[in-house]
Amino acid sequence: MNTTLTSVDFAALSPLLIVLTGALLMLLLETFAQVFTRKYAAIIVFTILAIAIWAACCSPTTNHSLLTPWLRFDLLSRLFSVLFLSIGIAITLLSTRFFQKFQASQGEYYFLLLSSLFGLILVAQSADFLTLFLGIETLSIALYVMCGYMKKWEISHEASIKYFITGAIAAAFLLYGIALIYGAIGTTSFDHLYSKFYGLTTSSDIILFLSGITLVTIGLSFKAAIVPFHTWAPDVYCGAPTPVTAFMAVGTKAGAFIAFIRVFAVALPQFDPFWSRGISILAMITLVYANIVALRQVQLRRFFAYSGISHAGFLLIPLAAGTADSIQALVFYIVVYTIATLGAFTVLAFLDHRQEGVTLNDLKGLYRRSPLLSLLFTLCLLTLAGIPPTAGFFAKFYLLKTAFQVKYYLLVIVALLTTIIAAYYYLRMVALMFSDITTENYSPIRSWPAAIVGILSIVSIVVLSIYPTILLNLINFSNK
Amino acid sequence: MILLFLISFATSILAFLLPNIKNQNKKLLAILFSLFPLLLLLSQHNHWTGSKIDYNWIPPLGIHFHLQIDSLSLLFLYLTAIIIPISLLAVRSSKLAHPNTFYGLVLLLEGLLIGFFTAHDLFLFTIFWEAMLLPLYFIINLWGGPQRYYAALKFLIYMITGSALMVFAVIALFFTSGGSLDLDSLTQTASSAPYSVWLFTIFMLAFAVKTPLFPFHGWLPDAYYQAPTAGTILLSAILSKAGVYGILRIGMELFAPFMKTWGPLLLGLAFAGVFYGAFCAWAQKDFKRLIAYSSFSHVNFVLVGLFVWNTNAHGGAILQAINHGITISALFLVSGWLEERLGSTSLSEGRGLAAYMPVLCWVTFVFVLSSVALPGMNNFVGEVLIFFGLFQSNHWLTALLGISIILSVVYMLRWMQKMYFDSPSPFQERWTDLKTKEILIALPLILLILWIGIYPSPVLKEVKPAAEKTIAIVGTK
Repeated sequence: MNTTLTSVDFAALSPLLIVLTGALLMLLLETFAQVFTRKYAAIIVFTILAIAIWAACCSPTTNHSLLTPWLRFDLLSRLFSVLFLSIGIAITLLSTRFFQKFQASQGEYYFLLLSSLFGLILVAQSADFLTLFLGIETLSIALYVMCGYMKKWEISHEASIKYFITGAIAAAFLLYGIALIYGAIGTTSFDHLYSKFYGLTTSSDIILFLSGITLVTIGLSFKAAIVPFHTWAPDVYCGAPTPVTAFMAVGTKAGAFIAFIRVFAVALPQFDPFWSRGISILAMITLVYANIVALRQVQLRRFFAYSGISHAGFLLIPLAAGTADSIQALVFYIVVYTIATLGAFTVLAFLDHRQEGVTLNDLKGLYRRSPLLSLLFTLCLLTLAGIPPTAGFFAKFYLLKTAFQVKYYLLVIVALLTTIIAAYYYLRMVALMFSDITTENYSPIRSWPAAIVGILSIVSIVVLSIYPTILLNLINFSNK
Repeated sequence: MILLFLISFATSILAFLLPNIKNQNKKLLAILFSLFPLLLLLSQHNHWTGSKIDYNWIPPLGIHFHLQIDSLSLLFLYLTAIIIPISLLAVRSSKLAHPNTFYGLVLLLEGLLIGFFTAHDLFLFTIFWEAMLLPLYFIINLWGGPQRYYAALKFLIYMITGSALMVFAVIALFFTSGGSLDLDSLTQTASSAPYSVWLFTIFMLAFAVKTPLFPFHGWLPDAYYQAPTAGTILLSAILSKAGVYGILRIGMELFAPFMKTWGPLLLGLAFAGVFYGAFCAWAQKDFKRLIAYSSFSHVNFVLVGLFVWNTNAHGGAILQAINHGITISALFLVSGWLEERLGSTSLSEGRGLAAYMPVLCWVTFVFVLSSVALPGMNNFVGEVLIFFGLFQSNHWLTALLGISIILSVVYMLRWMQKMYFDSPSPFQERWTDLKTKEILIALPLILLILWIGIYPSPVLKEVKPAAEKTIAIVGTK
């Protein structure tokens, strides 16, 4: 077996290596030069991530026998690496001002952020249950700390502990599921799942395998916050500092779904009609429950937890459908959701001025105070609500098309009816912004880095709305 | 064609970005902008029919950016191009907050409507259909009356609920037609799709809410009443026509057999709407609400014409849709002027106004006569055609419908009587009559009303092929 790694192999690994080195660098800097990091940490992290994106775009693929059993270097992993790194950049930009304002130290925060990004990229590239688990755990452990990063916030303590406990349980589920699958087919590699599963003859093995799959599904559902495994999400989102909530809302969500894609859509496409049916039922429960509960939320971080859960319900639809273009539909939706959610959290970052975060009341009369912020927020909310002509509508249309193709009519109808509720609560927020009753007159903070995120999300929403084909061509997996 | 589509969006962006100039100049600019489409339409009047854009927009989903103009589209395009400038003229520029946003939104709406009336791909049709709600929502929400937030949200939720399932129908048609959403190819396949009755119902529900057909009008009184005058004009004159156009374009062309079999039921609803609207209008103590209900009644009259299956009735309905757009915007314009002068829209506020404002009184009178379909006015032609068509299928119903005309005379003249011709109370302040500028706004509307009333054949020439097309589709099957 060839065990020497050439420079090409290192180049293929470069996004991971750059993020890892960057993370360690931040930790060292924080230890030895605190004053320096407090000033320049964000700029350094920004540079590291920019280099990593460049590396992820042009890294070569490798088929070194030491790497390929564990990591994939295909279009999907490349795309998601870029997506995660871009999320990282956006979170960095949102974080700088936040931590300056609340006077928390920064160096180790960025170490944690980079570690969790490392975990996410690992998940995106995983070719084996072990790397998948490694990635998810790296992500989660860093996130547990990030949630409780505001040490003086009481709600953060609760959030962090709750997240840790449920996260640990989820990890146990996942790991137990992996163990059962290994017990049934004798391998943890994704490549062999499909063929080995169809090679199973004894019914005990099949039961073992299916139980394993069920446990893995539950474990991942915890991470993706799908009803009924969602109970941690509202409290954790509510208690975490706003940039961290943003990171969880987009990063963890996308991470959980790339794991779903890796295990189910790619490795086990439509392996079992019963599983598909189960997922479609989960999707319906999630959509109905999350949308109804979201109606009553006043704290916006909490609101976005429920909004995120309902979008997770949408993202389950193509998984249940499992048609040829369902991965494309799923990825398109994730990208649109990510952009719009990041844009919305940018607004929250601008308005955030206390522990409890932004509430619906703070939105009143935002249009009079800051027309640009309200424009950004409106655009993002309309995209999330999926109202044409925003890209959110294409995304939903495409998802529902995949479900329709496999005749999940009920699912399509439930999804469409819940969009009415969703439209109501998103638009109610828009209406509040354009009302003229101003409760209190604090003005939004000024922060150029966060403004960049806002502008970028406006531009990308507009571009994607007018010409979605750009992204669709980019994520065309059928003829790679 | 591409210019016609893009010009409003371009001018809308310009309007949003207008520099800090005097409000009056902004208004003037916005009106100029809004006239571009009309000028474009007029300048090449004979060449529009048949012109199209077809661009493969989202190849992975088989969606084309396909706009095409036929005679039906052209009529509604003209209506849009005429009404939008009028609604802008109805604005009092000195009292308008956030003028840039307002003008930008109205022009954006114009662009979306042009897109909607020409869309020849079902996906595009859906996008424009939903998208045109947003500018209207903001217009009600930002510039409306005291209860505007409630009215605007109610309006929007009604609309979204009405068309929520439309996406389902669109996807269903996509699969039955073999991956194309082009309206031409759907004409062949739509009504043979599985469950096509349900798909038809989904579409009709969306159109019925927007028009609105009785009993889907719950949003109407609040939205019409709370919207600013310009917004009310847009809602009543154009938005309701979007519903009518939807019925013509999707209902008649794609689902003609169902349209025919379901005609009697829909006809019943439309009849109920005509009378319900008329009685409600009669009972109002507020003239803006009165006109709102009269608009509801008349729109249902148009729908009566659509649901009777023959060329005369359809032609009458199409013409009447245009007429109603012109007349109702004229009436709301007048109501806006009255509101400015009286400071309220209550019927008891002013009495015997004819003595103080004779010109306004006569202008109102012309519009009221147009609304009650006096011979020689535009509505007469349309309503007579509808009566004609209805008579061919049922004599009794025609007689019944005739009563609604009497009702409309009753409530309209009651308004005129109370407002203008009662004995003036001695405590009234002196009101100013119409200014020259306002007369100049009213004049083109009066001319248009008389022109269609006295010499309708140029318009009928456009109406005829559109009406015949709908009937012909069934004939070929």
